[in-house]
Amino acid sequence: MTGREQIDGVLREFAPQVLATLVRRYGQFDACEDAVQEALLAATVQWPGQGVPKQPRAWLLTVATRALIDEWRADSARRRRETAAALDAPGYAPAADLADDHPGDDRDDTLALLFLCCHPALSPPSQLALTLRAVGGLTTAQIAAAFLVPEATIARRIVRAKQRIRDAGARFELPAQPQRTERLGVVLHALYLIFNEGYTTSSGSALQRTDLTAEAIRLTRLLHRLLPGEAEVAGLLALMLLTDARRAGRTDPDGRIVPLAEQQRDKWDAAGIVEGQAILTRNLGSGPVGPYQLQAAIAALHDEAPTAEATDWPQILALYDVLTTIAPGPVVTLSRAVALAHVHGPRAGLAILGTLDTDQRMAHTHRLEAVRAHLLEQAGDTAAARDSYLQAARMTASLPEQRYLQLRAARLRSGGPPGGSG
Amino acid sequence: MKYMIMMFGGLGAATQNRSPEWIAGMHELLMKLDTELKESGECLASDALADPSQARTVRFVNGAPVPTDGPFAEVKESLAGYWILDVDEERALQIAAQVVGYTEFPMEVRRIMDHSAQP
Repeated sequence: MTGREQIDGVLREFAPQVLATLVRRYGQFDACEDAVQEALLAATVQWPGQGVPKQPRAWLLTVATRALIDEWRADSARRRRETAAALDAPGYAPAADLADDHPGDDRDDTLALLFLCCHPALSPPSQLALTLRAVGGLTTAQIAAAFLVPEATIARRIVRAKQRIRDAGARFELPAQPQRTERLGVVLHALYLIFNEGYTTSSGSALQRTDLTAEAIRLTRLLHRLLPGEAEVAGLLALMLLTDARRAGRTDPDGRIVPLAEQQRDKWDAAGIVEGQAILTRNLGSGPVGPYQLQAAIAALHDEAPTAEATDWPQILALYDVLTTIAPGPVVTLSRAVALAHVHGPRAGLAILGTLDTDQRMAHTHRLEAVRAHLLEQAGDTAAARDSYLQAARMTASLPEQRYLQLRAARLRSGGPPGGSG
Repeated sequence: MKYMIMMFGGLGAATQNRSPEWIAGMHELLMKLDTELKESGECLASDALADPSQARTVRFVNGAPVPTDGPFAEVKESLAGYWILDVDEERALQIAAQVVGYTEFPMEVRRIMDHSAQP
């Protein structure tokens, strides 16, 4: 008998390699991707009982090839259509040497797969689903469980995504410069979204979920290994590690949110912090400083502080100043307001928040109101703080956040003057 | 048999004047009950809805559907959350009573229509 985790590890390592080999041999990314998925499912059924084969990659390749050929034979009319498409599609020209497995090209193959799955023609949810399946080697069921949506939804999302890739005429190859830098930005954003999806929904759930944060970190680690010279890839990996390191402190045993300042720092993962710091230090200055490196540097300053009071806020504010110049946006302004409040007092932070009131991008998020509530509380304006907490509680779509905000409001009421309009 | 237990928007408004301990107790009760019902297999689905102040209502105005701000019902009557349970009526009422006993706020228990033709 073989452990579930060991099998998952083998499958996830070889899935993108086997898929790339098939695409090189036969073209047709979408049919090949389905075939690999079938091979993964077959392995999930057979390997726990029979053990992992001696050559798992060859096993998967054989089963996937058989699935592909079976599919082509299943319907002769469809087969003719598919074969014609395979020969005609300019992006799917089969490699000249059909017999060669190209093991030396795994690096470029995996990169090309990532770029294809994060094609700009796809919506972010489609990019995430396809990346997790084709590059991450997850089954549709695992992805569905991770996103808490029905399996059929993910299956349809993947079918549509592959259709769009085909329609867009996307090629299975590494984009050339200058598009490559831009496309890498899309890949990094998709990986960051996978991470955030796992991170923000990880609180207080006893449900069995595939760990999206761990999968995002694994894929970003892989990308960092493939592109060691890209400072922003390193920056994103460091950001994920330094953020994920605080995970155990983010909620209490009942699943309630604990704000950063009140977290028990001995619950943070010291090894993750050390690794994130090392990656950040090694790569800072090796290329142009980008938003992921800056956010990682800010995360590192939080992680390094032995207590909330010891946080180096002036340095964090300086980093937000740089971030505001190279990647401005309402969320950066909001975070900078918090840093500013710590350095120059809550009223200074509140003044910056005022500039966001008319920003349409903030109209549908509770974050602005939640930050305002905290700063008003710090400034001693209890009644206004309570109103802001309640307003934020009405605006959020996150149940744990809503509970946290309602409690903050209730605490102010019991501490403040009695009565109130209710 | 399937039942839907519904809670309404007025509960949120009513909690605003309660103590932090009371609110924490309510959150704890709801989460504990939800976990128990899921683990026992009695709960088929449950969710809370975002605040009615965030709702939009699509109305038929001047011959065309138009999205407008706000919920259709009054806030205190608008749906705030639900449980869908595979239980008999007695058990559904018992579950609702557990919550109402704490919140003192009414909940509605409705039978879900059967898809089969059998009486």
